[in-house]
Amino acid sequence: MKKYFYTDGTDKFGPFTLEELKEKNISRETQVWFQELGKWKPAGNVPELSEIFELSPPPIAKTNLINNNKENINNRKPPKTWLVESILVTIFCCLPFGIAGIVNASKVESRFYAGDIDEANRASQEAYKWTKIAFWIGIAVAVIYLIITIIGVVSGY
Amino acid sequence: MDIKKKIKWGILILFIIALTILYKFYNPATNIYFPKCPFRELTGFKCPGCGSQRAIHYLLNFEIYEAIKENALLVLSIPYLLTGFIFDLIKNPNVELLKWRKIFFGEKPIYIILIIIVAFWILRNTTYCQQYI
Repeated sequence: MKKYFYTDGTDKFGPFTLEELKEKNISRETQVWFQELGKWKPAGNVPELSEIFELSPPPIAKTNLINNNKENINNRKPPKTWLVESILVTIFCCLPFGIAGIVNASKVESRFYAGDIDEANRASQEAYKWTKIAFWIGIAVAVIYLIITIIGVVSGY
Repeated sequence: MDIKKKIKWGILILFIIALTILYKFYNPATNIYFPKCPFRELTGFKCPGCGSQRAIHYLLNFEIYEAIKENALLVLSIPYLLTGFIFDLIKNPNVELLKWRKIFFGEKPIYIILIIIVAFWILRNTTYCQQYI
């Protein structure tokens, strides 16, 4: 019967049988040793131990994803920032909404180049929302103003 | 491009052409049908957008100096906005273009734009600058 040892980095535990080792709640990163192995290895890299991890999900690769994104980021175009549209609505109609658009435009840039594509996309949608609101409010105000003026002129003020 | 998008763009372009004709031949300064700035009506202070309708009218009639006097921010931002618009249209820019895009339209430049807008807003309401911008 093979005898397995594992370590938490400072202390070593064992010897255990494979059945006992299963109860120890070790992860793929836990360093393990048995005689044939020669030196300590992460449990995830030892084929004999693969059945221990059958039921536990693989590690979450989010941090890796961000690092990978970081490498490709300078070759890619960020999501639409709506900066031009935001500035236009700031100047032509609705300052507060335009400013909200511009602030979100800067958020698109900062999130994107920090590697957080999801947040960048969210900020892009937020910027679009504010420019759209500003655009329609601008048109509504102009139309209402026009109608009121016409009513005023017709009724003789 | 699907049909819905085409219609949307078509309406937008027609709308812009109509506005261009309207603003070229009618001066918002002397015509009561153009909307007035609500902020100015309420507070008496100018907002960063005040004078932009008049500025457009003068620009369409090639009176650049008059346009700048009405709203300098608008006139000076036109080349910047056009450049930004072109950058938006480029689908797959190369690394070099992306570098320039970041220099002019990245996070820091956007903060500078915000500062310029607020500074313009404050300055045009001070007694010293009032008569110029």
